Amino acid sequence: MGGDKTKIILSITPPLLIIILLFYGGIFYGLVQSLGYQPAIGKYEINLDAYYNILFSERYAKLFWTGLALNLWVSFVSTFLAAVLALFAALAIRKTFFGKTVCNFIYSLNLPMPHLVVAVGIIFVFSQSGLLARMLAQLNIIASPGDFPVLVKDKYGVGIILAYIWKESAFFFIILMSVLQSLGENFEELAQSLGANRWQRFRYVILPLVMPSLFSASIIVFAFSFGAYEVPALLGVIYPQMLPVMAFEFFLNPDLNARSEGMALSIIIALIVMILVIFYFWLTQTRIRKD
Amino acid sequence: MTEVNIVNLIKNFSGMTRPAVDNISINIRNGELIALLGPSGCGKTTILKMITGLLTPDNGDILLDKQSILSVPTEKRNVVMVFQNYLLFPYMNVNENVGFSLKMKGDDPKIINKRVQEMLELVKLPDIGERRPKQLSGGQQQRVALARALIANPRLLLLDEPLSNLDAHLRDEMRELITSIQKKLEVTCMFVTHDQEEAVLLADKIALIFDGKLQNFAEPKEFYEKPINVSAAKFFGGVNFIELNKNANYFHSSIGNITSNQTNINELNTKCIATIRPENIKISKENIYQDNFFKGKIKSVIFSGTHTRYKIVINNLNLECSLQSLGIQNIKKEDEVFVNLPKDKIWIMNE
Repeated sequence: MGGDKTKIILSITPPLLIIILLFYGGIFYGLVQSLGYQPAIGKYEINLDAYYNILFSERYAKLFWTGLALNLWVSFVSTFLAAVLALFAALAIRKTFFGKTVCNFIYSLNLPMPHLVVAVGIIFVFSQSGLLARMLAQLNIIASPGDFPVLVKDKYGVGIILAYIWKESAFFFIILMSVLQSLGENFEELAQSLGANRWQRFRYVILPLVMPSLFSASIIVFAFSFGAYEVPALLGVIYPQMLPVMAFEFFLNPDLNARSEGMALSIIIALIVMILVIFYFWLTQTRIRKD
Repeated sequence: MTEVNIVNLIKNFSGMTRPAVDNISINIRNGELIALLGPSGCGKTTILKMITGLLTPDNGDILLDKQSILSVPTEKRNVVMVFQNYLLFPYMNVNENVGFSLKMKGDDPKIINKRVQEMLELVKLPDIGERRPKQLSGGQQQRVALARALIANPRLLLLDEPLSNLDAHLRDEMRELITSIQKKLEVTCMFVTHDQEEAVLLADKIALIFDGKLQNFAEPKEFYEKPINVSAAKFFGGVNFIELNKNANYFHSSIGNITSNQTNINELNTKCIATIRPENIKISKENIYQDNFFKGKIKSVIFSGTHTRYKIVINNLNLECSLQSLGIQNIKKEDEVFVNLPKDKIWIMNE
């Protein structure tokens, strides 16, 4: 027994060390810097000034709160729309029909696609010089590509939302397909024989059955889009700026005094994401206990 | 109460070499309880699904009270199906499950609550309304599924293998409950089973189906006493079969001539088969029989409590006989006996 324990401890130590040193080590170093401790520039005092500056100072507070609002807006809308889109796609594609495999493949193809590529794709398609604008101009639906609405690098984050919908709906789709296939169609058939019409079957049968999986996936997608950098960096505007881009710009600032604010901002983003993850685990554990 | 007519129903599935349902016609009277009996894959559930509208027949018609329902969508047919695995909605409590169909109709919540309570009392589960399906036993889940179907006041109630997921003692209980409720509410009911005992105990009439084809549609007793062919006889536990050649007023077989009281002898072909149930064969060490008796030898004796089963060989023909153990004669293995096949119990059918 003792030997087994030692073997287990020895086998999990290397990956644990890597996680502790690289991941938690980095977070710890960032946390220390956010508290003002930067020996390289002669700052040894521990304080909450950087957090105060980010949250309440005249210089940064407006940037932070508008950035937070934009972050919440983008993450919420993109998560919701990606989930809805994936749900309807999964419901349409789950039944056997000619070309099902091709449709399935095309929809799932988004999943391994890097976010950076998706962001570039959005620029190519939805910007004022993109494919859609040129096509509409060619068809005389709009006078010139310049009349196409600003969907990329816009203050409402439409381009960012489109990129996340495109990318994350594939993640939702794969989860929903596996849930729907494991459920089969018996529940719907039963509801139908009990008098439920198409809408009632969706509202009272499909939705409650897929909701737990959809909700869990939504929290993961929300947390990811809330903390991700590359898509907002490519498709966002300077003001309002999403929080991860703002944090990275603090980090790149040649003025090392701004480093504490950047780290404080990163820690705030991490905290929000962590709260979401804890909520997700609480929710799944509650469900397991209930089951 | 609804009269049901299934007329020349045909259903093909791609990839199958024969029709899943092959020209089946069944007429069900008001308030009858009918069993669709047959081995797995014979097309029973396909028939149920066509009646509910979940599958469309390739040919034929389904009539409820003389009106075709083929063009009526499933949700408007008021033909309710209880699935084999109950399928209680896991996110609803028992009350919500039972009241589902009334909610879909948009009934008043007060009326729904009252009806739900009535139905739960009908299935003898009045106090479990707040429980979730996972908190119920298999038998309770089955009753709730039945209550959920009955609350819709269906024109036709369909049950898919209603007892197959239950323990032996629960089966008896559920069987009684189904028959008593069905008779009380006078609802026309059709159920699917592969278990001939279940079909016999529950049904007013049985439709026996093999390979998508209707073999026979008759009262349970007829399947035991007058099976239509060897397959049907075997499905109902028939083990004794004797090949015959028809003559003017008797039948010739490898064990001797056989006579029968059967009235439809003119309908039989020259080559036919006789069957007799083991419990109808008589044996004795002394020859006390008038006709249809043969000399045989006991090959084995199996005591099974109330009955004792004998395997007998007569001129290379094996027969099985079952006698009540109480008051049995002292017949042992290798004993020579006289075997009587009473002519009012022997049944002759075409090959």
